[in-house]
Amino acid sequence: MIRKSLTALTLAAVAPLASAQTVSMCVFDVIGANGDLYNMVKDYALEMKAHGVDFNLKPYTDEGVAVGDFNAGQCDAVAATDLRTRPFNRFTGSISAVGALPTYDDLKTLLATLAQPKAAPLMKENGYEVLGIVPAGAGYLFVNDRSIDTAGELAGKRMATLDYQKDAIHMVNFVKATVVPSDITNFAGKFNNGSVDTAYAPAFAYEALELYKGIGENGGIVDYPLAQLTIQLIAKDDVLDDETAQKAREVAWGMFPQAMDLISRQEAAIPDEKWVRIPEKDIQGYQEMFRQNRLEMRDGKNGAPDVYHPKMLGLLSKIRCASNPSASECTAANRE
Amino acid sequence: MISSLVTLAGRTPAVRLKLLMLTAVAVLAGCSANPIYTTTGVVLSNYSEGEATPYVMQMSDPEMACSLGEGIDPLLYSFSRVTDAPDSTGSLLMLLAGNCMEYRAWEAELAYLRADFEGNVPAAKDAREEAKRLNAKTAERRLRAFNRAMAAYEFDPAAEPLECPFLFTEQDELTFLLGLLTGMQAIVNDANSGAMAGIPRNIAPQAERAATCLDNEKWGGLPNSIRALVWLLLPDTRPALSPDPWRVLDNSSELGVKVGMRASMALEAVAAETFGRPDVLADTIAEFVDAEERIDVWEDYRLVDHVAAGVIRFSSDKHWTANYGYRTPQSFFGKMSPERNTENVETMSLDDLL
Repeated sequence: MIRKSLTALTLAAVAPLASAQTVSMCVFDVIGANGDLYNMVKDYALEMKAHGVDFNLKPYTDEGVAVGDFNAGQCDAVAATDLRTRPFNRFTGSISAVGALPTYDDLKTLLATLAQPKAAPLMKENGYEVLGIVPAGAGYLFVNDRSIDTAGELAGKRMATLDYQKDAIHMVNFVKATVVPSDITNFAGKFNNGSVDTAYAPAFAYEALELYKGIGENGGIVDYPLAQLTIQLIAKDDVLDDETAQKAREVAWGMFPQAMDLISRQEAAIPDEKWVRIPEKDIQGYQEMFRQNRLEMRDGKNGAPDVYHPKMLGLLSKIRCASNPSASECTAANRE
Repeated sequence: MISSLVTLAGRTPAVRLKLLMLTAVAVLAGCSANPIYTTTGVVLSNYSEGEATPYVMQMSDPEMACSLGEGIDPLLYSFSRVTDAPDSTGSLLMLLAGNCMEYRAWEAELAYLRADFEGNVPAAKDAREEAKRLNAKTAERRLRAFNRAMAAYEFDPAAEPLECPFLFTEQDELTFLLGLLTGMQAIVNDANSGAMAGIPRNIAPQAERAATCLDNEKWGGLPNSIRALVWLLLPDTRPALSPDPWRVLDNSSELGVKVGMRASMALEAVAAETFGRPDVLADTIAEFVDAEERIDVWEDYRLVDHVAAGVIRFSSDKHWTANYGYRTPQSFFGKMSPERNTENVETMSLDDLL
């Protein structure tokens, strides 16, 4: 009798744990477990607990190592920027296509679209599944001289470029700037000590990496998003069943306001006079230049790497033309 | 009763003179600052710096010290309206007040972990939200403590090249050093609040540079611990020939035990949590407990060692609560699991007795 009730008690104690599925996740955040992103993933994990998944998070300050450990089977899922998760899903990995989402409103439309159950098949590729996409802020061009505000001015300038980001390297070459191979840990130093003239980064870097030093008296931040950086949560396809995976994406989409709040705070921390506003007519030129580049990188033409997924470029174009129907690209013969 | 006292007082010539003077002073002061307030402010500031601070620094009760910070700070700092802002004492008081808020945030964090362990999602969410709000308040207080410490020594943390402040006394050195540490903590609290407090993140590289202004050995490795933590956060800030940050942290912890102030150890534990090094965390907690036997706590700054002890205990409690659902049982402090070492103990034969 006693033994029986003891067993029952033990079972009762274990039951709430046993019902949750445990999934380990390698989480990238430049400042580890005390970083903003890691904290956001903690919120995601808590929400997912209500759906029966118990995420066990492990912080990584090196994105390459986080993805490497995921590849090596050390964790069932990974949270990292789309620059690194692109190999797992080329479709969602093309969200950060150069110049493809000029506003956060467009980004919102895109992420809402992708969170729908209808989009589920697109979230699976090569045995991997996307469990959520959260914005990490637009990448901006930081320059040490405000006169570098058109693509033409970039010619001959030295630009810190992430060495694994093929599309960025192609863009830098396209504008005839000089690629200075860098990684996340050293690009800021190069910009601040003047060994490069320009660098691109989300607004977060302005304060944390002291990029205002590199900007100095004469430089600034070009107020046009080069790309929309996102954090993507990727798992092996068999980790969650389809229904739970869909729930996970909806939970991640539900975190959009929280993420945007963080991003707008970071952007607001940049003093107004440091932004370099570019005239509307130049913007149109920029947009067309980016578009031509995207097409090249979709088709692998002109020595471009074929990194962008045609379906994603098509969707992004649809979103841009919905918010700005008069843009010339919307009637172009080679529309994305 | 009062009126009779006044009448009585008015009768003595000396008291009458005093009353007259008081009236005159009050009239002369008019709407501007009352000179008595100013004098009181100066006296209180000097007393706080010369007597109260050293006394508080010797306390071994961080909770009582933090209450003092919360209670006294508004009073003492209000004198900044009538005299120079008492920044150095004000920085320490605000630092203590920040600790108070953090202790509340810790409890909320443990409540979140406990509820999460039990699978009670609404309770976990509620506690996490509470922890975030409290972390935001902690971050705000700590930013104020950092700013006051910088102002007290007229130090511009953004200036380049770095110009070290003049620190005349040991107390000045410690106040400045703790100010830097508090600035770093503000960033951590802000991140844990969901960036609610909006703390400038460049405090970290600034603190890294300013920490070079202090004697590392004298302060138990704390200046180098601050630097190593920033090197891990921002690898760019690491000088070319510097040793591995983890080695620096370990070495600093040992130095801390030598001088009798284990703040470096607390920093090593925070680094281990931040960068996902459970091995380092387990070692640090074990070393902390082990040091109890051999440490001769620096009496003048006993409070710093006790505050550090609180940080280590919280690290241990977080681990225990996340993994087992309850905080560290007293006899297990220093261990990371409830496994007892009772398997290989020699036993006597009972055959003769049975």
